[in-house]
Amino acid sequence: MHLSALLSLPASLAFLTFTLASASPHSYTEHLHLLPLPQSHLHAHFNFTATTPLSAYESSHFRYFPRSLAQILQHTRTKELHLRFTTGRWDDEAWGARPLDGTREGGTGVELWAWVDGEGSTTVAKERWSELVNSLSGLFCASLNFIDSTKTVRPVRTFEPEGHHGNAKGGLQLLHGMLPHEVVCTENLTPFLKLLPCKGKAGISTLLDGHKLFDATWQSMAIDVRPVCEGKAGEECVLEIQQSVSMALSIPRSMRERHDPIPRPARIEDVECDESKPWNGHDTCFPKALTGEPAWTLSKVFGHAAKGACDLERDDQAFDVTLEVPSDRPVNATGASELTFPSTTRRHYRLSASSSFDLSLPAHSTPLGQNSPPSPPLYATRQIAGHGQERGSMHTTLRNPHAHPLTLVYMETLPWYQRPYMHTLRLANGKQEKMYYTPALDRKRGTHLELVLTIPAESTATLTYDFEKAVLRYTEYPPDANRGFDVAPAVIRILANNESPQFAGSYVRTTSLLLSLPTPDFSMPYNVIILTSTVIALGFGSLFNLLTRSFVLAEEVPPSPLAGVVRRMRDLVKGLLGKNGDVAKDEESSEVKDGKTAEISRYMREETKGKANGIANGDADLRDRRARGSP
Amino acid sequence: MADEQASIALLLRDSPLHDSFRDESAFASQFESLQRRTTRAFKPAPSYHLTFSLFAGGSAPSSWDIETAAEQYINPLLQALSSISDFTVDTQVQLHASISPAIAGPTFDTPTITWTLLASDLSGFVNAAEWPLSPGIGSGSTINLILYVPHPRQTPLTLSGGGNSWIIPQWGGVQILNPASNTTSHLSAAHIEPVMLTFADQLMSLLGVPDSPPSLSLRIAALQRERTTSLILSASSTLGALVRLTRKLQSIAIPKTVAHSVELTISHLEQACTALSEGDYAAALTSAKVAEAEAEKAFFEPSMVGQVYFPEEHKFAVYVPLLGPMGVPLVMTLIKEARGLVGRRKGKVKVG
Repeated sequence: MHLSALLSLPASLAFLTFTLASASPHSYTEHLHLLPLPQSHLHAHFNFTATTPLSAYESSHFRYFPRSLAQILQHTRTKELHLRFTTGRWDDEAWGARPLDGTREGGTGVELWAWVDGEGSTTVAKERWSELVNSLSGLFCASLNFIDSTKTVRPVRTFEPEGHHGNAKGGLQLLHGMLPHEVVCTENLTPFLKLLPCKGKAGISTLLDGHKLFDATWQSMAIDVRPVCEGKAGEECVLEIQQSVSMALSIPRSMRERHDPIPRPARIEDVECDESKPWNGHDTCFPKALTGEPAWTLSKVFGHAAKGACDLERDDQAFDVTLEVPSDRPVNATGASELTFPSTTRRHYRLSASSSFDLSLPAHSTPLGQNSPPSPPLYATRQIAGHGQERGSMHTTLRNPHAHPLTLVYMETLPWYQRPYMHTLRLANGKQEKMYYTPALDRKRGTHLELVLTIPAESTATLTYDFEKAVLRYTEYPPDANRGFDVAPAVIRILANNESPQFAGSYVRTTSLLLSLPTPDFSMPYNVIILTSTVIALGFGSLFNLLTRSFVLAEEVPPSPLAGVVRRMRDLVKGLLGKNGDVAKDEESSEVKDGKTAEISRYMREETKGKANGIANGDADLRDRRARGSP
Repeated sequence: MADEQASIALLLRDSPLHDSFRDESAFASQFESLQRRTTRAFKPAPSYHLTFSLFAGGSAPSSWDIETAAEQYINPLLQALSSISDFTVDTQVQLHASISPAIAGPTFDTPTITWTLLASDLSGFVNAAEWPLSPGIGSGSTINLILYVPHPRQTPLTLSGGGNSWIIPQWGGVQILNPASNTTSHLSAAHIEPVMLTFADQLMSLLGVPDSPPSLSLRIAALQRERTTSLILSASSTLGALVRLTRKLQSIAIPKTVAHSVELTISHLEQACTALSEGDYAAALTSAKVAEAEAEKAFFEPSMVGQVYFPEEHKFAVYVPLLGPMGVPLVMTLIKEARGLVGRRKGKVKVG
């Protein structure tokens, strides 16, 4: 059943099977497929395939297969591996079906799924999976080590092994993890290029440049390792690694020079005005929509021409670059030999080791109707609806534009802090055949939901369910907590149907979503400490001072050194300032002040003396009073 | 025999057993050359991963008959050394390997029409940034043996002092091969026979095998005894470090597995010493290897390293904002009162 699904792949994979048929042990092939897309975009698909016989793999003698990746796979007993790095969004409406029917792309961020030999135990498989993600994270400079048990699921119907595992298939366990928050950039491209035999120094891999690749509207890097057994007698199985980079870039944006990336408007003389608009005049111009194909050059789009060729054990009929344009479009190719094939829309070129290859296509106006791309099997979008920080609902729209019904598997992995209520799951305009559901456990695993749905012809199905948001502990929030948390994209796989065999095995992925959870005020610990310290200082301090302070007369206070310094400084400043005439006034006032204080102090001294005398002569006083007679 | 005594004296020189060894001064003259041998060699490890790599400066050669050559020349040597450690072998081919930009690079020498590499460039020749020489997964050290075939534009490549191979201490060895023709894409076993012999020689120096008695088995036996000594010393010093750590950080909890490993280490160390005194060197080596493995396991226990304990600085940082505003007036008043008390007592004494 699965083999038939594999065999019924659409015709666009024909060129891939050409290279697969010649998979001898220790081989390497590379290929670039260029396809102009509507709205001035260009789709470029780089494919690098290397094989090694399984006997050489097990005895660790490597030629074209990268040794660093092979060591990881051997150590963790991984039999089949699929790793994807994706950014951007593929515009279904404008560009049609996804390249290779979505089998060589992943969800936004990083997606990883592998068949691991768990020797019959789920704990052993989990340990090996965790070792695998940690080692891959080191190899690719990506934080894959965050794929822990909260992000790992075991899909049931969504993925099938692409390799031929023979009898060992029963013992393999499939594990899948996604990181939608991961940012993919040049530091992931460099280890990817290091795995290639020609290392980005010769052949089509020289076109891969971090600046242009990550400036594209959509790009996906994929690594697929699988065992292939041709079944021919006497030939052993090989282990094949397919590295592919798929990108959809905007031609005018990529053609901008690197030193001048700012987009500038064209001069008014070069702009064509739409004359059917009512306001069209000599000073008002509405630019006409661009029709037709713009002119582009391969070296300008990728930054430089392709240098040399990576020809390792290649046969004479192999070609490196395929350009898919209608036959009436003129193309200038330099530095490569063109191979003639009976196909009218494709041109094939074979690079030579000693020259650099460049393609240039002049502008071309296409007649209407020629440029409609093949339509995808399904249009899927997903949103989070609702308001507030307590609850929300997930809303998925699946539109089937074809004249026959579609059967598909819809898989979703939700984080544990998004708690769905499955009793609110509603499907409008579709039929739910089966449901595989694993509920979430707080901080241990997320929700795993797989639905087998049937959507009738030319209709739109809507899938909704409510969920509740959890409040996290304050250490579990990321540094930019108010941005929200990413929810992984949903993976949709089209199943074989009696009426639509041509879409079986295609994958469509929705976009990832941003979930805003209730965030606490992170400045509260600081506020509490400050408030407590202030209250204690004011309250305790004042009370303590009131209780323990002894009040003495001003002159009994020994002059503190600080007061002396302050007085000296003040006198100095006054002396400097008062040189111009205010001397007399100051002297007077200070005299008066001094006089007053002298008086007061004299009075106080007398009093104290009196008092002291009184104390000393207290007996005399008493005697006096007694003498006077007690009143 | 004398060399072996000298090398063991060198090992014991830095240990607490120093004083009980006699006649050390007799070997002092050989210490320098022996020191060089030990710094070149790898630290004793339970297993070694040998990686044979072919780095081509251009796009050829892209394959070599390393499987048959390794089987013929290296595997017998590894079998002879199997009592010392375990060995695994893997090979790889890398093309378009460019020389590191940090070094000067080969210069063209017109009289001899060759490209020469300066002696100062040898240590930086291996381009660690671009050449995939990541160490192997799992325990044990990796020994990298590299065969470099220069780019057709830079052939023939030789070293300025003559010769075409060198050892990088405690890392591996490099050899340069200038192929006869520029377009060979495959190096046959006959082609790489001299290469493998040099690799075997480099491997022996990297493992620290002594080079004096001409018989290989005698040298390996001497290496066994040296290994036993160094393993015993290393295991005991690890145990001592563990004890000192426990005493210093009083709040760390020691799990039962660590206690068990320490017991095993001590018993195996005793067994090794008794076996040495009886002359059973093979048993001594096995016991010493087990002792070393258990000591490492005890010291690097992951649950012990990640213990949660509050350092003193944390406590200070948390309590000062709360107790500071209370404590400061108290302390100031205390000082004032003390001063007042002293003053009053002095006054009383004066008056009285």
